[in-house]
Amino acid sequence: MAIIGNPKYADRIALHLSKYPDKRSAVMPLLYIAQEEYGWVNDDAVNEVAQIIEIDPTQVRSIAGFYTMYSEKPKGKYWLQVCTDLACALRGADEFHHELLHELHIEEGGTTEDGMFTAEHVMCLGACDRAPMLQCNFHMVEKPGGLTMDDMRLFIEKARSGDADLQALIAEWRNLVNEHLKTFE
Amino acid sequence: MTETKRILLRYRDVNADFTDIEEYGAHDGWVGLKKALSMTPAQVIDEVKASGLRGRGGAGFPTGVKWSFIPVNEPVKYLVLNADESETGTFKDRLIMEKNPYQFLEGCLIAAYAIGAKTAYIYLRGEYLEVANLLDACIEEMRKRNLVGKDILGSGYDIEIYTHLGAGAYICGEETALLNSLEGKLGQPRVRPPFPANKGGGLYSEPTVVNNVETIANVPWILQHGGAAYKAIGTEQSAGTKLYCVSGHVKRPGVYELPFSATFGDLLNEICGGPLDEAHPFKALLPSGGSGPIVHLNDEVMNTPMSYEHTAKLGTIIGSASLIVMDDRTDITWVASKVTKFFKHESCGKCTPCREGTYWLDKVLDRIMAGEGTEKDVVLIENVAKNMAGITLCALGEFAANPIIHTIKHFPEDFKKHVSGKKAVSKPLPMAGD
Amino acid sequence: MSDKLVKVIIDDKEYMLPQGANLVDAAKWSADTDIPVFCYHPKMAPVGMCRMCVVEQGMIEKDRATGEVVMENGQPKIRWMPKLQTACTQLVSDGMVVRTNTPKVLAGRESVIEFLLTSHPLDCPICDKGGECPLQNLTMAHGKGVSRMDFSDKMHLDKHVPLGDLIYLDEERCIQCARCIRFQDEVVGDDVLAFHERGRRLQIITKSDPGFDTYFSGNTTDICPVGALTTADFRFGARPWELTEVPSIDPHDAAGSNISLSTRLDRDFGGRAMIKRVMPRQNEFVNEIWISDKARFVHHFTRSDERLQSPQIRRGGAMRPTVWNEALPDVANALKAAEGDVAVLAGPGASNEDLWELKQLAKALGSERLGAWTTHAGAALAAQVGVGKGTNLGKLGKGDAVLVIASDLEEEVPMWFLRIKQAQDRGAYLVVANHRETRLAELARETERKVSTQTERKAIRGADVRYAAGGAVEWMRHIDAHAPEIAQKLREAANLVIVVGSEGLTLEGSAALTQAAANFLIESGHVGKPQNGLLPVLPGANGMGLHYMGYTVENTLSIVQNPPKVLIVAQCEPLNDDPTAAEWLSKVETLITMNLFPDRTIEHAAYALPIQSFAERDGTFTNGERRVQRFYTAQGPMGDSLALWDAAARLRERITGTRAKLSAAAVMLEISNNVPAFDGMRYKELAKVERQFPDVGGTDQYYGGTAYQNKGGLGLQIPSEADQGTVAVGAVNEAALSAGDGLLLIPTTRLYDRSTIVRQSAVIASRVAAPFVGLNPATAEKLNVADGDAVTVSFAGGHVTVTAHVSDAYAPDAAFLPRYLTAEPTPMLPTSAQIERATSVVAAL
Ligand SMILES: Cc1cc2nc3c(=O)[nH]c(=O)nc-3n(C[C@H](O)[C@H](O)[C@H](O)COP(=O)(O)O)c2cc1C
Ligand code: SF4
Ligand code: FES
Repeated sequence: MAIIGNPKYADRIALHLSKYPDKRSAVMPLLYIAQEEYGWVNDDAVNEVAQIIEIDPTQVRSIAGFYTMYSEKPKGKYWLQVCTDLACALRGADEFHHELLHELHIEEGGTTEDGMFTAEHVMCLGACDRAPMLQCNFHMVEKPGGLTMDDMRLFIEKARSGDADLQALIAEWRNLVNEHLKTFE
Repeated sequence: MTETKRILLRYRDVNADFTDIEEYGAHDGWVGLKKALSMTPAQVIDEVKASGLRGRGGAGFPTGVKWSFIPVNEPVKYLVLNADESETGTFKDRLIMEKNPYQFLEGCLIAAYAIGAKTAYIYLRGEYLEVANLLDACIEEMRKRNLVGKDILGSGYDIEIYTHLGAGAYICGEETALLNSLEGKLGQPRVRPPFPANKGGGLYSEPTVVNNVETIANVPWILQHGGAAYKAIGTEQSAGTKLYCVSGHVKRPGVYELPFSATFGDLLNEICGGPLDEAHPFKALLPSGGSGPIVHLNDEVMNTPMSYEHTAKLGTIIGSASLIVMDDRTDITWVASKVTKFFKHESCGKCTPCREGTYWLDKVLDRIMAGEGTEKDVVLIENVAKNMAGITLCALGEFAANPIIHTIKHFPEDFKKHVSGKKAVSKPLPMAGD
Repeated sequence: MSDKLVKVIIDDKEYMLPQGANLVDAAKWSADTDIPVFCYHPKMAPVGMCRMCVVEQGMIEKDRATGEVVMENGQPKIRWMPKLQTACTQLVSDGMVVRTNTPKVLAGRESVIEFLLTSHPLDCPICDKGGECPLQNLTMAHGKGVSRMDFSDKMHLDKHVPLGDLIYLDEERCIQCARCIRFQDEVVGDDVLAFHERGRRLQIITKSDPGFDTYFSGNTTDICPVGALTTADFRFGARPWELTEVPSIDPHDAAGSNISLSTRLDRDFGGRAMIKRVMPRQNEFVNEIWISDKARFVHHFTRSDERLQSPQIRRGGAMRPTVWNEALPDVANALKAAEGDVAVLAGPGASNEDLWELKQLAKALGSERLGAWTTHAGAALAAQVGVGKGTNLGKLGKGDAVLVIASDLEEEVPMWFLRIKQAQDRGAYLVVANHRETRLAELARETERKVSTQTERKAIRGADVRYAAGGAVEWMRHIDAHAPEIAQKLREAANLVIVVGSEGLTLEGSAALTQAAANFLIESGHVGKPQNGLLPVLPGANGMGLHYMGYTVENTLSIVQNPPKVLIVAQCEPLNDDPTAAEWLSKVETLITMNLFPDRTIEHAAYALPIQSFAERDGTFTNGERRVQRFYTAQGPMGDSLALWDAAARLRERITGTRAKLSAAAVMLEISNNVPAFDGMRYKELAKVERQFPDVGGTDQYYGGTAYQNKGGLGLQIPSEADQGTVAVGAVNEAALSAGDGLLLIPTTRLYDRSTIVRQSAVIASRVAAPFVGLNPATAEKLNVADGDAVTVSFAGGHVTVTAHVSDAYAPDAAFLPRYLTAEPTPMLPTSAQIERATSVVAAL
């Protein structure tokens, strides 16, 4: 599919274009939409965004390359990004990250054979008090006291067992592991 | 000691859900805004000046003064809210936006009114997607109540607020890089002058104020209670309360709101419950994330108020108040290496010393961490870091030099251990693709 | 920058410098102080990236209340900035104090160099830039000499990344100065280069389709301060220190860009001097420091094996090679036998000297029939009201206006396109009028455009005007009726230049259009002063020279209608250009060609004499701005070829006995004594240079490219008649253009085509468009033709089969057929045509 003329995205594209006095400003939101459609920022994604905001594709590729949240390589269905930055590492994030890779039988940045999971470590995600934690497709997966590998096994199992959409999956998973979350704060 | 005088985390005191616009309204919501709309923009700026409010994004620049730089007669001006929050150990703005979004948005309206901006953009780091969705929903609620859009509350003043998501670049927290990013360009800093407040220097070249989320979230309270009341909180040069983010080796990490007069001891021992493991006392503190100078976490520090002026006397900064606490198990060389990896990864690459320097430092630190370094290597990285400082285009280069210079200065023995022939145990991972 | 001078102290000495000037430029120009730079370039906005230019900077403190200078120990008190500042981002202001050589500054520079070298491969021995490399030079001057970075710690990257067909990137050598990116964005306005990734992984990329493919791409290799960008043409070709720079002039168009031919004695050329590359030579009046890729890459024709290398005589129906000693008497006899019924047709590639000697030859034979072989009849009017003496298009800006009519300037004279585009960036009002879309029209149409690497938003005003096919004369003449607002704005402009092309016009038509434009300029008072007047888009390098030497289009028309007994065709190829030429040439009894190549015309010739290209001899061209400029002998001659002037002089010697002149300089001396416009234009005068701003050539350590230095002369401009007195408006001969029975066929120009000359350069040949004809959708429908169809276009004298491009870009009721894209000749001037869908597919060339 494409994003241009795709009814699924028409409203969002129009909204983003209406936000700014200069169309070029919409390059980042549109790249997210294109990434959502194609799974990663491939050349089609770049060309479509370039066409919508009327700039050279080179400029769009440049933006996609600068920012790490645009993936220039295909990813698994679930893109797990573990924060191993200093604050998290002080609470065992490096070990957690290693165990996760081991659990998934992949190398850093790799994708599982079934194409379900890509895992890598990233810089600070702004949840340092809940280390270890991670993001899955840009949604926070975290809990007070930090994630354990048991939590992760639960998550992996849930993800593999069905094709629930991500938001529902995370919500369900949060309910399962976070009974005590409600009592926090 | 407990948290007192909460301004930003008021909801904790009243135990209410401030993400509900009705509840927010029932707890003094929009009082400051209504007051502001009844004043002239200049009066609002004066009130904020009187409060002594300083920017919470790190540099501590007086907020009212910043607003007063905006030329009154320019037809188009912008307000940009810096919610990029990407410094390691920082997670306070997220909390404000998640738990008290309307107070922040109310602050935005007041600030925009004061500088005469008709459009405000909230630039959030990409990872805060859910926060952005929440803010978008809040803005729609506000629109229904004529708090956003044309002629808000019948005042004749029009304002639009939009969210904009970044996409994983720490440098976009730097205000000129942020503006470039918002314009759809590479998030690389601009040379100054012209400054954002000047014609030619801001968003789309128009005069622009860039403020941190926390800074702005204080504004409704200041308008409601008056600048003088705000000034009365905290210390002489650090007015008001501050959100302190605590992470690392403490029992209760989290975000806490305290007046600037509170000491590190008040926070770390009493509120956060002291060291994570009683057997391992505190060793070191990074009071302002990875970028601020490291200090020994000793009694002198514990007894020092966490204000701009008092931390300066310790040879460090309070910055955005992201306290990363380390106990005696922590290898400071490893910390230096970890932080250097961060800055190497986040260097935008625009200017030579930072682009090349962070890469070089990281290479040598890897060697040191692998037990293959020599004493000369330690001298080298200190020298390289010093060569970077003061000559880069933006402050990130400085931030990247700090950890090296100060870890070597304060914890030389930790480096000696690595270069005395013994193999080291821990080694930070490289990033994928590095 | 203003004209106001303010006091600045540089290294403890006081200077008066223009307020608002860039500090690096001003220090260099007025204070003889070189502040080293890498990212800064005086032709582009500063970005302050590389940090090489750091200085200590302060301000003389003044009392706020009184404005008096504050004194301290008898000296003015200076408030120093705590950190080093980048000089390239500082503008000169009153009371500025700068120190460029303190220990702190030197240490800063040294560390920047050290940082740069940590990831530089230091492969100077195999680098094309070695020997003329700013990084190398500045390392010698300011570096440490030893690297503290282990080689094994360096990054290893791709060294051969093609950015397009013409330019290669060595990722290891790139120092991320962004000069190439900024050049494409700011100067060319086509941002096809960008950075990818960030931090140490920052790299130049292009994702445009097709690649990095602009007409100016080669300039990036000149401004690159290291050897990261190289041309496909010159890569590994030679080492700079082996090269001899020979000043020359771009022979392809009316801009007359100053170039430098880098030559060396080369094995590949029998040990003779050979052009290895073409570089720009600074002439701020003409091309600043830029050249088009055509100027840079189309030099191979000069050494083509296809060149005519010896005189040819037709014997027994076939052309046979001979030697000059045999050919000269034969040709002389043939000329004498004509008994005065002789004519000359000369092309705009011939030099002033060539044209002069040919004229003397004709005169000696009793003929004054000198025809200019061209598609534009405006040269005579350009001599009257052409741009005023001293014109520098680089000075056009805010308050000024430019009208470009009947021209696709980017394809015809890329340098003028570039300079006018920049005039628009500086605020000039640009109107582009034509019967079809052009790149320049696109720029004129955009009402507001941002230069993305600069923070400043540039409001760009302009207008894109479309008239009916071939309707230029009608529009220009009645501009007040067609576009009163535009006419008003043009009239009110402080300075106005009208660029007059000839697209869609017959020779009578271009004469009429030029007259209409001239009248407008005269009536609005925009003549006879710098930055005002007419700029004719004459084809070739010496269209104005043809005029001054007495070659006219009227004579050409008479020659075509009434061919002479003997015709000399000099540096033009009528049979390649004009499908009907075979018909009228067949009426000539004896045809003598003097050309570089054995082109089609030779088929009708009795004699073919080989002449030399611009690279093999001395000479001068008169550009469209009437600037007479010298080019010098750079390359060994091909075979027995002679300079055209020389061959003509030798023929005259045979006929009249007057001794042939021995040098081009002697010819020019004679010209300057006889042609009033050339008064005083001796070679010595033409070779004069003066210091130019910005200072980029010579001993320069950092703007790169040793060839920039202009050692060949800035040339001299012929004053226009308006410069010397008043000129009167003339009658516009609005000769209706009759399209006959068929469709109006309009020839257009492409920069890269399959003409004899361009074809010889492999790197360019691969980039020539496939043959096509452009049609408006309405016209296509009438013809029952769809986009992409193969169609046969028939016209007097022939037909070609090409692909139809159907688009709104073209005016209706006409067919737009680019010249020289097909193997068979197509019309050079508008005519009538028929178009039919072809049954066969277009044959690939
Ligand atoms: C490398 C770098 C990163 C920064 N990151 C942030 C950030 O994430 N959030 C923020 O508010 N300010 C950040 N700043 C500071 C901003 O440039 C700017 O000073 C601030 O947003 C101004 O707001 P304030 O006056 O309200 O503090 C950063 C500065 C630098 C040099
Ligand atoms: S200091 Fe680093 S982040 Fe800042 S401009 Fe230079 S390279 Fe970019
Ligand atoms: S920073 Fe001034 S020349 Fe590069």
